[in-house]
Amino acid sequence: MSSVTGEHAAAQRPDLTPAPNPVLLVLIALAATALAGLPLISVQPNRIMPGEGLTLWAIGAAPALLVAVVLLAGLAWLAWRPTRRALRLALAAVWLLLALLPWALVALAAQQVDPAMSSARIGLGAGLWGGLFVLLLALLELINRLVLTPLQRWGLLLGLGLSLLLALTGGGLDSLALMREYHGRSAAFHAALRYHLVLVAAVVGISLLLAAVLALAMRRWSRLRRGTFSVLSVLQTIPSLALFGLLLAPLAYLAARFTWLGDLGVRGIGWAPALIALVAYSLLPMTRNAYVALDEVAADVTDAARGMGMSSAQVFWQVRLPLALPVMLEGIRITAVQAIGLAAVAALIGAGGLGTFIFQGLGQAAMDLVLLGALPIILIALLVDGMFSALAEQLRRIQGRGDTAHGG
Amino acid sequence: MSLARRLSAPLVWALLLAALMLLMPLFEEVFRLVAPDTRAVIYQRDSFVSLVASHLLVVGVASLCAIVLGMGAAILVTRSWGRDFLPLVSQLASIGQTFPPVAVLALAVPVLGFGSQPTIVALVLYGLLPIVRNTLVGIQGIAPGVMESARGMGMSGRQILWQVELPLARPVIVAGIRTSVTINIATAAIGSTIGARTLGDPIIAGIVNGNTAFILQGALLIALLALCIDSLFERLQ
Repeated sequence: MSSVTGEHAAAQRPDLTPAPNPVLLVLIALAATALAGLPLISVQPNRIMPGEGLTLWAIGAAPALLVAVVLLAGLAWLAWRPTRRALRLALAAVWLLLALLPWALVALAAQQVDPAMSSARIGLGAGLWGGLFVLLLALLELINRLVLTPLQRWGLLLGLGLSLLLALTGGGLDSLALMREYHGRSAAFHAALRYHLVLVAAVVGISLLLAAVLALAMRRWSRLRRGTFSVLSVLQTIPSLALFGLLLAPLAYLAARFTWLGDLGVRGIGWAPALIALVAYSLLPMTRNAYVALDEVAADVTDAARGMGMSSAQVFWQVRLPLALPVMLEGIRITAVQAIGLAAVAALIGAGGLGTFIFQGLGQAAMDLVLLGALPIILIALLVDGMFSALAEQLRRIQGRGDTAHGG
Repeated sequence: MSLARRLSAPLVWALLLAALMLLMPLFEEVFRLVAPDTRAVIYQRDSFVSLVASHLLVVGVASLCAIVLGMGAAILVTRSWGRDFLPLVSQLASIGQTFPPVAVLALAVPVLGFGSQPTIVALVLYGLLPIVRNTLVGIQGIAPGVMESARGMGMSGRQILWQVELPLARPVIVAGIRTSVTINIATAAIGSTIGARTLGDPIIAGIVNGNTAFILQGALLIALLALCIDSLFERLQ
């Protein structure tokens, strides 16, 4: 690791200072504007009454202000002469700002909310969201510039997550409107979260099985291919709300007709139409990737395996499938991310899950309840996306190394 | 050959859509089969024509903004002076795609309130991403030799953009716009839950009142609209 840094520093030649990094400078200006110009938080006396927005100046916490100004000014200076060392320092500063953000909120909450008023709550304002967004962009830009390894990237994110988790579980953020909504229905939240995850897992599992069967059938009978793909892509075009709606009637009819289906819990409303619709949507990306993955394995590789005396079953299980795995993982990733989002819509047809809070919140005009549903969905989607991407990358790397090892 | 042939599939879907939206009351007996116990079988609160028009307006305005902004951003970051922003913008476009549309829609409400406006803003935000990504892929996929010979012929930067880069990248860009519009048609329907007037209205009303006929009417119209627009794009590509 250190040798790489040394090479870089040598390649950059000390007498030649690099040009200023315009991306970081713009982001820093944006972050400063958002944090200083827009309301950071709003204090509401209760759930119904609209809150009063407080800007950084209105809060007037001098030490915190000073820390933020010093860090941002330092960042701007580092971005002006972005040597590798300067960028590393900038990364540390941005990371620190992000990690401290929840704790700044803890301090703010303690200052602004009287503990005796149990219904008073703090809403997060546009300035805070904007600042958070821009700082995350800056983190991304720095990670890009410094070409960090996956391990380093995950380490940074894990640190930020831990800081947030500690602040949340420590109780200092309990007066946050979001946390008030959570504490009001924590059992329902955990149940919805579990349900959402189970639904998505079931969808991914079922569509993986079906896609595998379809892909194998298409490899065997190539005439199936065109028809299958055109049916699947038409399915994908139908809007989710419409597909959920269209399934209500036939399922209600079936459940009324065959009582054993009704006993299983199959009804027009609930998990059954959600599961069927989500699987229908998942089939196209899953099948396409499974088919392409199996098809793309180079013919000379399978020929070589056959030449080594492997049976066709052995070729499939020991050569074709392992080599196809990274592309298949890509299909699973797309499907899972899509299903996480669509499962939220399924709440409209009574399927439960985190979407319930979104639509309840929209119905009651309680925006923090909306956040309680939407934020975990976004986080889960990002996390699943990152995990599957990392897994596929890792697999490719192992296979690549295996190839060179055999070659050498 | 072919204009007629090329337009035939979109035309069939469009005719079906028009027929269904104008003549819905004629099918009352059919819809009674799926909802025998309800008093009103045909959704009456709004005419289907105005719902389709309103749905198209929301999607159209949002898609137009997304196309202008998305292509603009992608073109800016592929110029020599904007290249510093390229890695961030392209990564943002791919990360943004993992954001579920419903969540984006829901998060627009606290900022913009209820109605068509937050729906349009959320649709623009979400619709931007595939367009940005595909425009980038399209422009970056052009062989370096082509760009060099264009420069060697003495073309200016603007000429290269309009006469070389955009025409060559067109299929990929149109594919991105297609994805964006398709997602927007679906997401606009969910906009009904935040007060936008769209074809989601009958579906929501049907779910709330347990009236399957309403749901079916809304769902059929949205599905036809989506298929019509999608087949149009298929011909364009």
